[in-house]
Amino acid sequence: MSGMSRLRIAAWGAACVLPACFAMELLPSVNTLDWLPLWLLPPFVVAFMAPVLVGLLIANRQPRNVIAWIMLLGPIGVALSTPVAWAFGEGWGLQMDRATWPLLYAWPIAIAFVFPNGRLLSSRWRWVVGLAVVSFVGSVTLAMFESSPFYGEDAAVPNPLADNSVGEAQYAEPLSWVLWLGMLASLFVGAYAIRLRLRRSTGVERLQTMWLAWAASLVPVALVLCLLSGLLGYALGVTFVDWVVFPMLLGLWIATAAAVGIAVTRHGLFAIEALVNRTLVYVSLTALLVAAYAGITIGLGVFVGGDSPWVIAFATLAVAVAFRPLRARIQDVVDRRYNRARYEGVRLVRDFEDEVRDGLRAPEEVGAVVADALGDPLTELYFWLPETEAFADVSGDVVADLPRDDRAGREIRRDDARTAVLLHDPILLERRDLLDGVLAAAALSIEMARLRVEVRLQLAEVEASRTRIVEAGYEERRRLERDLHDGAQQRLVSLGVQLRRLQLALPRGAEVLSPAIDQAVDEVASTIGDLRQIAAGVRPARLDDGLAAALRDLAQSAPLPVEVEAPRERVAASVEAAAYFIACEALTNAVKHGSPSKVAVRAVRENGALYVSVADDGVGGAVVRRGSGLAGLRDRVAAHGGTFEIVSPRGGGTRVEVEIPCE
Amino acid sequence: MRVVIAEDTVLLREGLAGLLEDAGHTVLAGVGDAESLLAVVAEHEPELAIVDVRMPPTYEDEGMRAAVEIRRLHPRTGVLVLSQHVEGRFAVELVGSEGGFGYLLKDRVLDVGEFLDAAERVSRGGSALDPEVVKQLLSPSRDDDALGELTPREREVLALVAEGRTNASIAKELWLTEKTVETHVRSILGKLDLPQDGATHRRVLAVVTYLRASVA
Repeated sequence: MSGMSRLRIAAWGAACVLPACFAMELLPSVNTLDWLPLWLLPPFVVAFMAPVLVGLLIANRQPRNVIAWIMLLGPIGVALSTPVAWAFGEGWGLQMDRATWPLLYAWPIAIAFVFPNGRLLSSRWRWVVGLAVVSFVGSVTLAMFESSPFYGEDAAVPNPLADNSVGEAQYAEPLSWVLWLGMLASLFVGAYAIRLRLRRSTGVERLQTMWLAWAASLVPVALVLCLLSGLLGYALGVTFVDWVVFPMLLGLWIATAAAVGIAVTRHGLFAIEALVNRTLVYVSLTALLVAAYAGITIGLGVFVGGDSPWVIAFATLAVAVAFRPLRARIQDVVDRRYNRARYEGVRLVRDFEDEVRDGLRAPEEVGAVVADALGDPLTELYFWLPETEAFADVSGDVVADLPRDDRAGREIRRDDARTAVLLHDPILLERRDLLDGVLAAAALSIEMARLRVEVRLQLAEVEASRTRIVEAGYEERRRLERDLHDGAQQRLVSLGVQLRRLQLALPRGAEVLSPAIDQAVDEVASTIGDLRQIAAGVRPARLDDGLAAALRDLAQSAPLPVEVEAPRERVAASVEAAAYFIACEALTNAVKHGSPSKVAVRAVRENGALYVSVADDGVGGAVVRRGSGLAGLRDRVAAHGGTFEIVSPRGGGTRVEVEIPCE
Repeated sequence: MRVVIAEDTVLLREGLAGLLEDAGHTVLAGVGDAESLLAVVAEHEPELAIVDVRMPPTYEDEGMRAAVEIRRLHPRTGVLVLSQHVEGRFAVELVGSEGGFGYLLKDRVLDVGEFLDAAERVSRGGSALDPEVVKQLLSPSRDDDALGELTPREREVLALVAEGRTNASIAKELWLTEKTVETHVRSILGKLDLPQDGATHRRVLAVVTYLRASVA
């Protein structure tokens, strides 16, 4: 058996001690509580059982919780007089009863010192608590040696400790007063401790602490009032115990237990909610199913008669069928009533999913919706990209590392693979039911958003690499053009010059060779011309002077009038090259297929894009065919992330319009 | 004629120097980059600098820049720029803006007579514009009413005028008498509404400026 479950059993055991003590009162030989008026009995039982029940509730969830154990054990000390009376005789019981009264104040103030996290505010507070423990234990111990006889109804019972040396000692009276003042002081300090905590806390912790801070400030007030009423009663010869001191103390206990209970159930402290919630759901579910089963068996039994196996089978089937939808329904009802946050959170996510399905919202918004549903604006969702082993945020930007701060991280998995990580306020760890519920509801949206982000990133990468390839192509053309001009062409010119000089230096009598040299030089010259043509086709050198210059050259070498309009300002070299080759291709296409009388080439820079249009007055009817010049043109535009459009009604000329982003 | 040559290919530089020297000119220096070119021009104040457009270190348009610089600092030195391909407006603008400037494709060198002719013209403050450039200026795609009015023969003459040729040279080229050429030129200038001016190089400037303006 694990330590945890052993502690849990111990908690149940401790919780049973008090009812056992009360039960003993029923024994004829025990009458410790005889003095208690009957009308005070119900509040008395409630006041004693309230902290025990709240303590048990917490201990069940967190068996090591200090506050739970204070609440479980605190009230027992006061009730121990009953078993003592039963075991050792009435005298001992009475002695204990009048000695243990400080314990009425001890546990509420102990909680005030350590609430809500079970630890002291700081290590310096150990001294304060040490003094409190000394004054409480000292008071009780000293009172146990009280040697005076009992009074009132119990005057007949002899004090078993009459005439003991401690009780009779000179120092007993002043020491008891010193210890009393120590107790009073520690009650005030305890009340101050929780107020200090209230002042320092924010958010949920503040809400949790608030109730207890008020309850705890009643504790020292109660002790002072108790003293005053005692003194007053003594002076007036009446006793206030029944209708002043006891109601007040009982109220104090109930208030403290209620404050802790409220903190636990209303604000998610110690995550009790889930337990309460589940218990409610399953108890109601069982009750309803049993009722349904019974109703069906009895109802049908009347008609069919007896306990026919058919009736039982039908009832079983009905109950089995009803189980799942009924559970969901009850969970909904219970959530709505006892777990508003989870109910609303899950509903928010479901509504979002419906809107995604209807195309009203994008799945990527799931991060914001989850943050909303959890009520935690710090919440951030990061999608896991298994291929690149990196995270991307909801806007699709890759992040090198998850932000390192004091937020808690929660891995979201699907089909045994990580899909995302949710960073959230650690306080939500106390609200695991809310977190689990919202994330379970959002799982599909998260996976969808992740896939979309991943695909988008991959697409962007492919587009970027296509652009890079095309740009590398332009650079390669440029290099080739340079090589042709400065390499081969230059050497041909040198060769020609050498031939000419040779020709001029021909010795007398060798002039017959001159025409042959002329012919060779002509050959060289026409080869140079050819090379120049090739180089211009590879990439026109005029592009170095800008798009406008290159397009004008293009127009001038065209076999028909070409009107050119182009911006003088320069854009990126790759964009200019793209625009030039697009115009080139479109112009070639027009001349080849359209038989136009003239062509207009326009390039305009607008809104961060270069618009190029090539329009002719030819026969029209052009279509983009696979492998055709127009198809190549369209690919070239796409590589630059641009758009391509062709309008070519039969008989109405052709117009190619292209937009290339250039920023 | 005293000449300096800036050309980074040694073989071609030597070839050019040889051609010029064979024709009786003096080659004062041959250099391989723009910086040295400016230095030798400042040192020798030659009548002509023959300059390659692309030279080290970047092989972009160092030669063209150096040409502008020379024209600014040494107005008496003519500059003949050689290029592997038609470089564009820059050249046209320089030829059209003043005398003493020439722009030729490198392979024109192979027609030694015309090359030397152009070189001498530029060294004397005249102009030389490559026929290829002129062809582009007169391209049929141009939508120009005044040019449309010219007869085919007048267009031929106009092209040669734009190249910077003298009437004599034009007459020789077209197998005409100088008198006929003169008549054609007068007719052309009249149709283009340009001033009738005797001096050849001013006539060239007017024509090139006209062609340039109507292109832009």
